[in-house]
Amino acid sequence: MDRRENQSSEGETARILVEFLEVAINSIVFLKGVYPSGAFERRRYMNMVVQRARHPQLRDYIHSTVSTLLPFIQKGLVERVAVIFFNTDCIPVERFVFKLIVNQSYGSKLEEADLEFSLRAFLIKLSVSESLTKALPRDCRWEIIAYFRSLPQASMSKDSELWTPTDTRQWQQPPILIPIKSMSSEPLCLQLYLEHPSSSEPKP
Amino acid sequence: MSLDSSRSANSSGGQKSKRSFNNSTSSNPSNYSNGNNNKKAKPSQKTLGAASWGANSLSPSRSSFRNAPFSDFGSYMMEKNRKLHDQFDAEASTSSHSGSDSGKPIFHGISIFVDGFTIPSSQDLRGYMLKHGGRFENYFSRRRVTHIICSNLPDSKLKNLRSFSGGLPVVKPLWILDSVVANKLLSWVPYQLDQLANNQPRLSAFFAPKSSSVSKDVKPEGSSFKGGTSTEAYFSDLGESSEHSRQISRETDNLVNRNSNASLVTEPTSSCGRPFEVTMEKPNNIDADDERSVRNELQTSPYQPSALATSNFVENHDMTGSPSSTVSGLSNHRHSTIEDPNFVENYFKNSRLHFIGTWRNRYHKRFSSLSNGFNSRSSNIKASAQKTAIVHVDMDCFFVSVVIRDRPELKDKPVAVCHSDNPKGTAEISSANYPARDYGIRAGMFVRDAKARCPHLIIFPYNFVAYEEVADQFYNILHKHCNKVQAVSCDEAFLDFTGSVEDPQILASRIRKEVIETTRCTASAGIAGNMLMARLATRTAKPDGQFFIPPERVDDHLSQLPIKALPGIGHVLEEKLKKQNVWTCGQLSMISKESLQKDFGMKTGEMLWDYSRGVDDRSVGVIQVSKSICAEVNWGVRFKDVKDFFQSQNFLSNLCKEVSLRLQGCGVQGRTFTLKIKKRRKDAEEPIKYMGCGDCENLSHSTTVPVATDDVEVLQRISKQLFGYFHLDVKEIRGIGLQVSRLESEGLERNSLKSWLTSAAASTEEACNNSCTALVRSDTDCEGQGNEILGKICASSVGPSIEMDNNISNGEAFLNQVSEPPPLCHLDKEVLESLPPEIFSELNDIYSGKLIDLITKSKGKSENISSSSSNSHVQVEGAMKTGHMVLHSDPFLQHEIPVENRHIAMEDQAVLVSGAESNNVVLPASGIQKIDLMPLSLSQVDATVLQQLPVEVKADILQLLPAHRRQDLSSNALSGPSKETPLELLGTKTAEDHSVSKGCVSENNLWAGTPLQWVVKFKVSNCLILNVLAEMYYELGSTGTLSAILQRAISLPKHQLDANRDSWDEATYNLCDLLKQYIKRKIEFDIEEIYICFCLLRRFAMKSEVFLQVYTNVFPYLQASVGENYGGNLHMSLKN
Repeated sequence: MDRRENQSSEGETARILVEFLEVAINSIVFLKGVYPSGAFERRRYMNMVVQRARHPQLRDYIHSTVSTLLPFIQKGLVERVAVIFFNTDCIPVERFVFKLIVNQSYGSKLEEADLEFSLRAFLIKLSVSESLTKALPRDCRWEIIAYFRSLPQASMSKDSELWTPTDTRQWQQPPILIPIKSMSSEPLCLQLYLEHPSSSEPKP
Repeated sequence: MSLDSSRSANSSGGQKSKRSFNNSTSSNPSNYSNGNNNKKAKPSQKTLGAASWGANSLSPSRSSFRNAPFSDFGSYMMEKNRKLHDQFDAEASTSSHSGSDSGKPIFHGISIFVDGFTIPSSQDLRGYMLKHGGRFENYFSRRRVTHIICSNLPDSKLKNLRSFSGGLPVVKPLWILDSVVANKLLSWVPYQLDQLANNQPRLSAFFAPKSSSVSKDVKPEGSSFKGGTSTEAYFSDLGESSEHSRQISRETDNLVNRNSNASLVTEPTSSCGRPFEVTMEKPNNIDADDERSVRNELQTSPYQPSALATSNFVENHDMTGSPSSTVSGLSNHRHSTIEDPNFVENYFKNSRLHFIGTWRNRYHKRFSSLSNGFNSRSSNIKASAQKTAIVHVDMDCFFVSVVIRDRPELKDKPVAVCHSDNPKGTAEISSANYPARDYGIRAGMFVRDAKARCPHLIIFPYNFVAYEEVADQFYNILHKHCNKVQAVSCDEAFLDFTGSVEDPQILASRIRKEVIETTRCTASAGIAGNMLMARLATRTAKPDGQFFIPPERVDDHLSQLPIKALPGIGHVLEEKLKKQNVWTCGQLSMISKESLQKDFGMKTGEMLWDYSRGVDDRSVGVIQVSKSICAEVNWGVRFKDVKDFFQSQNFLSNLCKEVSLRLQGCGVQGRTFTLKIKKRRKDAEEPIKYMGCGDCENLSHSTTVPVATDDVEVLQRISKQLFGYFHLDVKEIRGIGLQVSRLESEGLERNSLKSWLTSAAASTEEACNNSCTALVRSDTDCEGQGNEILGKICASSVGPSIEMDNNISNGEAFLNQVSEPPPLCHLDKEVLESLPPEIFSELNDIYSGKLIDLITKSKGKSENISSSSSNSHVQVEGAMKTGHMVLHSDPFLQHEIPVENRHIAMEDQAVLVSGAESNNVVLPASGIQKIDLMPLSLSQVDATVLQQLPVEVKADILQLLPAHRRQDLSSNALSGPSKETPLELLGTKTAEDHSVSKGCVSENNLWAGTPLQWVVKFKVSNCLILNVLAEMYYELGSTGTLSAILQRAISLPKHQLDANRDSWDEATYNLCDLLKQYIKRKIEFDIEEIYICFCLLRRFAMKSEVFLQVYTNVFPYLQASVGENYGGNLHMSLKN
């Protein structure tokens, strides 16, 4: 948590964003009840009570996934980050999508307090949005997917190699969106919305 | 971190990357179809096409906006467009001078916009346009572009066709190429984009894989998103094949396979961007189909234990009913609204009446060109003393003979057609062949009764595909032999052979022979002097024969004919007549006309009198235009209980879908919507007919909306609202129907200037009457003064008073002249040249092509003409409703201004009323230059007149007054604080914006400035709701988001939220505009805010008609925007 003052503001934004994503993804996984609630512990983040995975592997998965996104976010390559819950047939049941827009050319100094203020609102909304979500089937799985604006350079960094190109199974119909929270606080615009299969989606 | 084999397999590259927690290896090639993952990095993720289309055309991307050196984006684009035009003109002139290879100017008046990738490329197309006198637009503009050229359209554009194409034709590039090859301008209609063209014969597609052949019938306009007939064909094949298979156990396996097949099949179609409706519905259908087939199997072998298992397997998808019920019960349940979510669709799919009803529409499309020709001369022929010869041709037991045409062995066996062959069932026989009729089997009989009379009766299901095919063949033959054909039904028609040299009897037998050869079904014909007798003759001729009734034999033929045989005499009339001891036509003809009219009413009495004498003066070929379109379901309608709100809503929305499809199929839109409900009578018992409607009360509610529509969502909204009015227990409902009337055809007419002029004439007349006082006043006022001045200024010929004068005469000219265009020599060339191409070409058509000559001639001497034709100038402008006069204040007649403005205001409103799209009301810039001619103080402005003005004009006037003058005004019109706002360009207001259709967002940026433009505008509005919203804005400290304002407004009393008739259009227009701009502004960054706004709006819509209209208007735009930016639809359920 050491914050160096000499860091550029966009680097700082990206770092806060990544940190926030980690917390948010933890919260989502907790919210969806994929694991027993005992697998989580109460922690404090930005003066808020949040849940964090207790199991080292789970915690590490989330942490390493998100933190390896950092260089890409800094370069403005990441467009969306989605947490996707699948049923046993690998068909998505629900997707939590974070849509990021980071203003690369934001010059002035980052108002960290403002940003945190907005992000806190985000977390609060997230923690009460369970009613918007769908009940998950048994034996569901989940994964984190990032949508890139362009292909990452192969040799950008060692971390980036941990990300592999992929296709996931998609819905055949445009999904139904339920916005959860949007915030826009220069230089970061972050939106979280739910995607559900449309009612006309063919059932397998 | 032991998690990943995938980690070591490090291949990088690829735009989507994931790390899977559970080693998921699902890789499916289906692509995410929202187009958001572009191959190349782009600063903004919108596609280029989207950036230059309609609503977005004004600010394609934020980033370019920021970097532009111009003061605002609009002016930048204007400049850019101007340059592009200049370039194009320069090139065009060089290429046309370059001699031999320049082509004929076949594309004159055509201006294309190329969207997306095309073959040939847009540059090649541009070349063609250059060479052949057309225009090429780099940026889309509703005004300049006449045709949109593209090869493929993304889903989102298809879904919202109108919002991006502005109603312009969307045509394939082949059109250009073929036109060039043909060296003349071909009709674009056959070249309409397949994705759009395909959807039109959708109704017939209900029945058939064959519809792909029909899809050539193109209609110019219509909303979109169907197609994919191949999948449909696939499914219906499945249904059939499964019905024939006999082994249940295997069937089960098949079903499993098919279900999975179904989902596999649909996948590729949707991923390659196929319109989505097909995939949306069909998989459900296949479900239902399969279940039906299973049911059939069950009925044939109801004792097999495995049958139960099968049914369970199928049913348990969504059936909660008890598996212990009997097998037939189980399957029958499917056929009520309780269990089947797709009930409506299946119902119509299996309905014979639906087939017959929609067949007519199909026929019109197919044969309209053939049948149009003769209508005009039919009356003349009547007058001539020629002997009339009418032939009535009717296929023999059409529905049966078509089905068994390939099975000659059944020809002499009793066969009937019915949708179910359950021997105990209460399904009704729809048609029986002659052997079956010998057993006393009649149409409308229950299957169980029929089986009782004739146990070996063979029952076939409908084969709508074959019916359609045979009917088409039938009519092809008729049209070949006769150019005067009136279709009565799919298997029955009247032909008029009056004046034909050949004997009608020979003709009739030739037709019959050909019908038998082509269709392998027999037809009978009756020949007589009028339609009534021809029809009666057919009765005698049947089956498979023909009969001629010469005029002298008419009385003989009628004398013994039972009255029931006459068309128009049904059960009730028959009973009444029989009570009077009238059994035959002969007896009927003994009764005097007066007593018949006394007993049965004027019309019926006369009809009886005529018919009993064989008199019928109807003429063949009068095709009635349908006045209303309706879909009704009166069978199988059962809802479980009050709480089961969802089912009835679902049923309603499916019904709306059906109606909307029918509307689109007929190419009309309606304004009045009537919801009809059959409610079980209190004492009525469950009807004898299974799932029938029984004894019912008929209830209905209707509503009329200002703008005709065929949009499903609007229909659904309206019907749900209407449904709410009934306050019914859904358990009591036995039938629901939705009827749409006050139809307006949406086809060619809508864009035609001529029809618009006529409609405008009516409204202008009204407006003129209203403004009568104003006119008279101005007339008298300027009479003395003006005439003098007229004399003085005449020489200079541009004096404002002349125009004033013209203005008045213009009003008169309107009344007299609108229906026919002014003579050619009165037209102002300048005006003509500046007209948008589509209007020009229409005018050109009206003048049968002379306009183009005129323009070319005038090029050289344009200067002389422009001064000499100031008179006609006004006339044309008047016709165009340009309202040129606004703010042409006359220095000599200063006190006239309010009156004058008022007059213009009237015109303006007339535009509003007529709702025409294609106005280009451009207020001349000269108005701005003459600011100083405005009245010096408010004492010269009539405050009441000012109040009456439409808000735009008022705002303009207020802005034109220098700030120090506005102080006076603010006491009058403005009550709140208002800062100086930049002068609004007068020219930006177009009438297109008036129409509250899903059109473009207007150019004024309502969300710019401090205070925001809309607040200023709403503040001065004379519409209460707008004022209220503006006040809310100030109360919230001028920082509020729209959601905050709406949130605050939600507690307002109902009367404040609605608008009266006068301000209705203003309110809806302004609110729509406001919302659309807000969506545009926020969609990328703050979908949550938009979502909240619309949730609130929905609550408003329940209380207020205005908001309901606004909501229905803006909602499609919202979903399209969301789709564009997020690749999905916003969740807007009706439940909360």
